[in-house]
Parts: sequence; C-alpha cells; structure tokens
Amino acid sequence: MTALEQQQLPGPRSGTRRRGSPLGSKWTPYFFLAPAALFILVFQVVPLAQEVFLSFTRTSLLNPTHSTWVGFDNFARIFGDEDFRRTLLITLVYVVVCVVVAVGTGLAVALLLNKGFRGRGLARALVTIPWAAPGIAVALIAIWMLNPDYGIVNRFLDTIGLGVPGGAILDSPRYALPAILVTTIWQLFPFTSVVLLSALQAVPPHLTEAATMDGAGRWWTFRAVTWQSIKPTVGLLALLMTIWSLRRFELIWLMTKGGPVGATETLVIDLYSQAFDSKQLGSAAAVGMVGIVISLIVIAGSRFVARAAEREAR
Amino acid sequence: MRLPHVGLTLRIIGVLLVLGVAVFPLYWMFVTALTGDSELFASEARLVPDFSQFGVFIDALAEGKATTWLLNSLVIAAGTTILSIGLGIPLGYALSRFSFRGKVIVTVVLLFTQMLPEALMVVPLFALFRRFDLLDSLGGLILVNSAFVLPIVALILKGAIDGLPREVEESARVDGARPLTVLLRINVPLIAPSLAATAVIAFFHAWNEYVFAVTFVFTPGLQPASVGIANFIGELGTPIQTVMAVSFMFTAPAVVFYLFVQKYVVAGMTAGAVKG
Repeated sequence: MTALEQQQLPGPRSGTRRRGSPLGSKWTPYFFLAPAALFILVFQVVPLAQEVFLSFTRTSLLNPTHSTWVGFDNFARIFGDEDFRRTLLITLVYVVVCVVVAVGTGLAVALLLNKGFRGRGLARALVTIPWAAPGIAVALIAIWMLNPDYGIVNRFLDTIGLGVPGGAILDSPRYALPAILVTTIWQLFPFTSVVLLSALQAVPPHLTEAATMDGAGRWWTFRAVTWQSIKPTVGLLALLMTIWSLRRFELIWLMTKGGPVGATETLVIDLYSQAFDSKQLGSAAAVGMVGIVISLIVIAGSRFVARAAEREAR
Repeated sequence: MRLPHVGLTLRIIGVLLVLGVAVFPLYWMFVTALTGDSELFASEARLVPDFSQFGVFIDALAEGKATTWLLNSLVIAAGTTILSIGLGIPLGYALSRFSFRGKVIVTVVLLFTQMLPEALMVVPLFALFRRFDLLDSLGGLILVNSAFVLPIVALILKGAIDGLPREVEESARVDGARPLTVLLRINVPLIAPSLAATAVIAFFHAWNEYVFAVTFVFTPGLQPASVGIANFIGELGTPIQTVMAVSFMFTAPAVVFYLFVQKYVVAGMTAGAVKG
C-alpha cells in the first residue's frame, strides 16, 4: 500500500493537498487500477495471447520455444477428426444436462425451502454443503462410492436389483458420463437452489396473494407471477452453469481422465491430454480456442435473449 | 375429505430427502475413515462411524505427510487471500467511484477472464514461471491463484462500494483527505461483510486449486493437500481409511467457513456475475 501511496503523491504531501480537487486528479483512478491491471495483464492477458498464437502453430511440448506457423491447419485438422466431433457432442451433452438438471433441481429445492417452517435456516445451510466441498474431495469420495467391489452405490443398486454387471461404473462407456453428470450436479444444485431461493423470497407477496384471491390455481399463480419474477435469475444461472461446465476440469479428469475410450472427454479434457499426453501444444491451444468461442457465442446469445425479453416486457 | 397434513408431510419428506442427498457423501467419507478393516470389506456395509477407530485421524496427521500438505495449502490460500484482496480493493474502488478512459475494457477483461479454463492457461503460464524462476514454489502458486480469483473479488467489492453512500466520502475529500485515505479509512470498514465473503472465496479458491499445483510444483514437500489427495487416486499403498480421513480434514474447513458466510458469498457471486 505504501508503494501505491508514494506513486500517487510524487511531491511532498502538503503540496498535493493544496492542489487536490475533491475528486483527486484525473490520474487518481489509474493509480488505484494500475497494480491489479498489471497483474491481470501479466498472468491472464499475455498468456492468453500466447495461447492464441500457439493455436496457429505446430509446437511440441518437448521443444516449446520452437513454433512453426501453420495458419488454420490445427483447426482444419481437429474439425476433420472424428474423435474431436465426438468430443464436441459429449461436451454439448454434458453442458446441456448440467444446466437443465442443475437449474431444474435448484428450482424444485428452492420451492421446497421457500415456505416457512422450523429449522429452515439449518436446512438451507446443510443444503449448501456440496457446493462448499473441494472438487478433489468430491471426486475422491465419488470414486470410492462407485468402487466396483466395495462401493456403497453398487451395494445399493444390487440390493434394489439394478446393479451394473461387474459394477465398474466409471469403466463403462455407457455409465461413466451419467455418473460424472450426477456428481457434477450434486455439487452444483446447492448453488442454484440458494440463488433461486433468494429470488423467490424477493417475489412480492401481495402479487401471489392477489392471484390466489382472483381464484388462480397454484400452477397458474406460479406461471403468471412467480416465474415472471424469477425468470432473469434463471437466465443468469443457466449462463453461469454453461460457462462453468465448459471449463470444468478436475472432477472429470480425476474420475475418468476422459475415458473409457473417450466417453467422458469434454473440450477441456481433450485440450489437456493433447498438451500433456500427445505433447501437441498447437492443437491443444486450438481446442481451447474452440471452447472460448463457444463460451462467447453463449454469452452473446444470452444477452440477445435477455434484451429481447426486456423489450417484450415493455 | 382433504387432509391438511398431507401437504406438510410431503414437504417434510421432500426436505429430508434433499438434505440426505446433500449430506450423505461427506458423511460417507467420515464413516469410511472410521470403519475397521474387517468391516470395510464385509458383505454388509457399516453405515455408522465406529469412534473407536478415531486414531486414524491422529495417525494421519502424526505421520507428517498430510500435515505438510495441509500447511502448504494454508500458506497458499492465506497468501492468495491477502494478495487478491489487496489488489481487489483499489481495483473495485476505481471501477465503482471513478469514470475514466478504458473502464469498459477493464470491466470486459474482468468478465472475460472468468471463463478461461485453468487447463488452457497452464502451458503459457508454465513458460512464464520458468522464465521468472517461479516454478516449484508456493509463492508462484499464490501469484497464479490470485490472478484467477482477482476478477470475481474485484467485481464483488465494486458492487459493495457501489452500495455505499457517497456523502461521507465526499465531505472527507473536501476536508483534504487523500483518495487512498478515504478508501482505507471510510469505505473499507463499511464493506466488511463483502470483504469476509471475498476472503472466503479467495481462500478456498486457492485451497481447492489443483491444475496449477500439480503442474508447477515438483518437490513433494511443497505439494498442497489438493495434489496430495489426488495422488491417492489409483494408488494402492495407503489404506482407504487414511485417504478418507485426510480428505475429510481437507474438506471440513471449506464447508464450515462457507456455512458462516454463505449468504454473502451467494449475494456477491450473483452480483458479480449479473453484470456479465
């Protein structure tokens, strides 16, 4: 802080005071801004620019300072690759299911907790637990619970007669993705629940009362009053869940490493294995760029939808 | 006849079911840590903790490795908290109280960086760290974690400062107080709840972080708990009870702190993101 202070006041203190307008000089905001901006420039913007550059080159992890410019070759190659198209499809499935189920479950739980009852505060706090748990710990306990021989999930599924043959859920191309989805959603639904709960509590009670008095049924009241008022929050959550799911790494990496046979390989997993297993930094960066472009399209699309909805509301 | 209690009963069952689903996996982690070998592999699963096995927690800590991991995590997380808040307060203040050229760009960059996957940034950051001799050090992880959590910290603090009245600040300024003094003496004490929330977010962002820690640190004695615990996966040497005990000690602080400040955290996260 003292360094900042000195930068800001080159002259003796009294001098600045005399001169000082109530808002400080026009440089004042930049003095506050500069340290953080420099920091983000060095650790985020410059590395990102390097990644953009890498995506147009052929560069090996073993010799990373030597890059050959190849133009759009990396992009042409990955889009021509059947495995990459499968990766895109899996990413799409993963993101859409996460968004829909996490927001849907969140809404259901929020509605459940919205009515006053004794112990609601405690219930609300306990529901938050999965979201607070570190991803590493979640992956670890999920792997143990899904253990083919001693895992509680297999024991339970066997008891109710739905056991997976052999029990190796995470080794099964069919069940690995659903297992990862359940784990992800388990960690996400507390967040959507708590956010939607505070949105529900901001719904003006007189509106719902008025609707009920007009003889509206519960479903109609929900659609006409509650849903209208929480719609922006639902939109925001859907956007957040999309972006978070597009960049989620450690949970999937630790549970399956994208396997078996690519069945759980999302874009981020693909880019990590391209970089560190195949040692192809160029194609890894290209995969990353595809992910970023998808995120940007989703953000732009959501702004468009939000604006259209706003115009309609007027 | 319609029974008035049916709705209530269904609600209670629903709430209990949700709570069960939310709590069970961590409960199971605890139970597994406290299950003796013979029962662990028995055909009937033991469903309640056996507290006579409590020594597993003490043994895990006494053995030393886990203690080192947790201490490393603590150093990284505390450093990240201090650095990101130290940089985030002035940045949030500048964004909240001043209009200046480039403000839109700064805001867009802050929102944009939040969607960058860590896995994408590992490669260029590794090169950067090698050049500046930051590899294999806790300080390097503090720097990178701060950079990743700074945008959300700054946006939350900006929102909090937006909510403060300008009058006090302006009168202090008219009395000749310098902008930095105004910020530290007047604004910072008033946004204490948001500071607590951002501190928890920053602390546990670094506490939980895995990708950078596993890539940038090689010396086992410098590994944080996230890496140590992840290394248990697929390794057969360590008893599952120890694995679960260490994981539980790694998880419990995050859960307890979030429970205390969850209201502010949720408000801050949504407020910080709303502008996106």
